[in-house]
Amino acid sequence: MTAITASTVLRRRQDVRYRRIEDEAVVLRQSAAEVLVLNGVGASVLDLADGRRPVSAWIDALAEEYGADRETVSRDVLEFAGEAAAAGLLEPVPGIGEPG
Amino acid sequence: MSFGAEFLRHPDLFPGRRSGETWGEGSVTLDVPGGPYRFSGLAAAQEEALRHRFGGLCRPAGTGGVEDATAAGTLVFRAPAADFLEIDTRGWEYALDLDPAPSSLRVAGLRLMARLDWAPALAGGLWTPEAAGEEWTSVCENYLRIVVAYRLLAADGVVLHSAGITDGASAWLLLGPSGAGKTTASRLCLAAGAEVLSDDLNAVVPGEGNRPLVARLPFTGDLGERQGRQGERETWPLRGLLRLRQGPREELSPLSPAAATAALAAASPYVNRDPFRREPLLAILEGLARAVPAWELTFSLEAGLWSILEGLAK
Repeated sequence: MTAITASTVLRRRQDVRYRRIEDEAVVLRQSAAEVLVLNGVGASVLDLADGRRPVSAWIDALAEEYGADRETVSRDVLEFAGEAAAAGLLEPVPGIGEPG
Repeated sequence: MSFGAEFLRHPDLFPGRRSGETWGEGSVTLDVPGGPYRFSGLAAAQEEALRHRFGGLCRPAGTGGVEDATAAGTLVFRAPAADFLEIDTRGWEYALDLDPAPSSLRVAGLRLMARLDWAPALAGGLWTPEAAGEEWTSVCENYLRIVVAYRLLAADGVVLHSAGITDGASAWLLLGPSGAGKTTASRLCLAAGAEVLSDDLNAVVPGEGNRPLVARLPFTGDLGERQGRQGERETWPLRGLLRLRQGPREELSPLSPAAATAALAAASPYVNRDPFRREPLLAILEGLARAVPAWELTFSLEAGLWSILEGLAK
């Protein structure tokens, strides 16, 4: 499993569809007809996972959006990104920002 | 496992279009939500079996005038029994194998192959070696469940794995996968004097002003046939949604619109596995989740479940 760091670039997997509803997101995965509900931060991470910006840019954006301490946001986002990758929602973009 | 490999001896020879030798000249049209649905190419014994199975929902093809012109038509073809794998069904949970594409859907199952094509209008082909009796109606019903789910989705409706409970004026839908307690909850409500529409699959269709209506489907679970009498009311205003959990004591907690949408998506068979129809599905389900209240209900076997529902209605 790829370790997620602030320099990792992640994108949503192709089979992931989601819909933002108020401050949450409903996520569907094609492979298993699996349905998840993400909280506001999780939903924002899905929005940000465009395969271009590294995780550090998400942390900056979310710290500003929520007016929260960057260190705390960093810890939460890295933890969530790792869980989302393990759950098959996000995947690293090959050759961009992967830890050497 | 590749598409069809669980059921078919030669999945690579799956029919590419609606063609083959039909069973006969018979035809039946079914009045089911999202329909009508017309089955053609039937042998006399297949036609008779469908009339026996679906009773008052059947009518001879061609008697519905304009409605018949809009029927979702399915041609039924012979298929050699040798094309299908023998499956030991003891303790086996049956799940149809679906292969969705932008304008078609392939289906493989127990002694059935089917395809739906949407160009220009929805048309189906069903291949089976089953010539008559319950084996044939079971094939037909499994196929019909899928067609109804897709037809309703196209009409801003949805089929839901649910128990539909009514007091005669409006209806509740109790959501949950197999084992969540839909049949148990249905029995509890039935014993308390409520009517059960189905303990397995119910339809929701848009009513006047887009108000959601529950429509009875002829598809039931362990509780058995709940089909209404001919001419009897077949739709009820949807009063609320409950995601079921069995637990040691009763507990009721409201679901957020997102959680309700997720519960509905998990309970939308067939179409929730189709990546080409997920956005419209989620849009319809979000609308539904916002239109009616939704809760998670933990209940026990001793629960006065119906009184809980009645209490919510007040």
